Amino acid sequence: MTQQIPEVLFWCVVAALLTTAVLLLRQRGLTANAVKRNALLEGSLRARDEEARHLVEVRLPALANSMHQPVPVPGLLDERLTGTAYAQNLHRVMEQFAGAAEKAQARADQSAKSALKAAMRTLQGLANEQQLSISDMQDRHDHPDVLRDLLEIDHANSQFGRRAQAIAVLCGSWPGRQRAASPLTDVVRGAKSRIRDYRRVQVRTQIDVAVVSRAVEPVVLAVAELLDNAARHSQPNTTVEVNLQPAHNGACVVIDDAGVGMDGQEAQQAGTLLSGRRRVDINRLGDPPRFGFAVIGVLAQRYGFKVSVDTRSPYGGVRAVLFLPSALLTHVDLDEPALPAGSVPSVPSVAPARSVPVAQPEARPVPIAEPLPDHAPAGGRARAAQPSAPDRPATEPDSFADPDRFTDPDRFAEPPTRAHAHPQSESETAGGLPKRRRRRPVADPQASPAAGDRPADPPAERSVHETAQRMGAFARGTRSGRAAAHDDEGNPLS
Amino acid sequence: MTPSRKREKGLVRPYVVTDGRAHPTRNTFDLVTLVIAATDRPLSGLSPEELRMMRLCRPGALSVAEVAGHLALPVSVTKVLLGDLVDSGHIITRAPVPAAQLPDAQLLQEVLDGLRARL
Repeated sequence: MTQQIPEVLFWCVVAALLTTAVLLLRQRGLTANAVKRNALLEGSLRARDEEARHLVEVRLPALANSMHQPVPVPGLLDERLTGTAYAQNLHRVMEQFAGAAEKAQARADQSAKSALKAAMRTLQGLANEQQLSISDMQDRHDHPDVLRDLLEIDHANSQFGRRAQAIAVLCGSWPGRQRAASPLTDVVRGAKSRIRDYRRVQVRTQIDVAVVSRAVEPVVLAVAELLDNAARHSQPNTTVEVNLQPAHNGACVVIDDAGVGMDGQEAQQAGTLLSGRRRVDINRLGDPPRFGFAVIGVLAQRYGFKVSVDTRSPYGGVRAVLFLPSALLTHVDLDEPALPAGSVPSVPSVAPARSVPVAQPEARPVPIAEPLPDHAPAGGRARAAQPSAPDRPATEPDSFADPDRFTDPDRFAEPPTRAHAHPQSESETAGGLPKRRRRRPVADPQASPAAGDRPADPPAERSVHETAQRMGAFARGTRSGRAAAHDDEGNPLS
Repeated sequence: MTPSRKREKGLVRPYVVTDGRAHPTRNTFDLVTLVIAATDRPLSGLSPEELRMMRLCRPGALSVAEVAGHLALPVSVTKVLLGDLVDSGHIITRAPVPAAQLPDAQLLQEVLDGLRARL
């Protein structure tokens, strides 16, 4: 029995050793696992630290920069983090940062714009006031030397006014003065009045179209900016040529310069600005700031005309084309005597660049430029056959569709000094002394005794179709006006 | 829409009208100088203001002041344009009609006194 004891002990020791070995092995495995896991966690933590540093040092500055110029914003540093909650949180930080920066920028932009606008409005008012007093002085002083100085001051003042006006428009203000509907030729020459090198601008053609009252000042400003660009980017000894061309459903002002032209990228940028679709940020117009195209874009968008500068002029420079749709065109009947028909060419000598089939005048909704018809319109109204009155009332609803008003020299009251040019037997008394001729009264159907004899002369009635069209246009306008919310200056609230 | 009967004043500035010049090519114009349009000249190549002047003056003589009034331009600017038109032969000037010489009031008084004394 006693000899069995060592054996038992031996087995016990063996069992204990085995157990220890197994435990040791297990422990080693666990430790190795723990070490690995620890390293992994440490690595992950370091990666997150790195990621946070990367966010602060690289990604956020890049995001801030990307608001001013298009630079790529880098993504995550460590690909392993993609899709984790940590990465999502980082993304939210980026988004909030971007949002806050954008909001701050918009607010800064808005306050800069309103400050500039107020300042420019003041300057505009002063420039207008000064122009009035310069005009007064020009009327008062007769000496050529004084006039020369006044013309120079006037020129400088006009440019000054245009600059203030352009910046004010860019900041969301209205172009300012309300003008009467004016012939397109006058509009272009008005634009010519406002640039430095006006003597290099040559208006080649004249067409018989006028711009409606509300669009006069915007179009003048837009054409002035185009002319200024054309003159500024071409040699001082070259001319800037302006052609006015009637088009299918509007009219074009074509401005050709012989300057350096624009390369593809510049033309593309100009196209974006001119479309007026992008909101203009006055802080990003370069240094020195270039307002021209941005101003034209704002005006074009607001008033519905189109400007393009993507063609080359025949002289190697830029050809700028401003297209005015017929909605912005009208016909004004200026209170001036007419020359005998045919003595002045009122149709342009240059043929339109694009040959478009010209619609029949009756088919047009708005009266726009037509070469003066030589014949009475079909279904001529009774008035055409009447003996022409010396002057027609201005309130005639259809007076600008009247074809004989241009060829009717009798309708202007004659200045009294011309009496001697009409030797008439009834202008002398029996004794041979001159008799004072009564001036013929200005036509006033109510006052004239013959007014009662003309009941068959109602104001020309509109056709049902035309009335419907006008009502429709009115309703559409009201609806679109209500749809777009505007602040007091007419800027869409964004 | 009622079309305006008056040309918008102040849109086209006077220096554009005269192409920057302030001195007329001749110094013969007075406010009352009469100008008459020559009918035999072609009207091509004239500026819009010059055309309007020709239209105004065609029916008969007008004084410089009247032309300026009708065109709504300063008189001095009108003179520059008229100078050009005279140079190109489009317009003829005529000195104003001189006021008739009034007889001496004293002489008239003496005649009157003499007649009264005789009758």
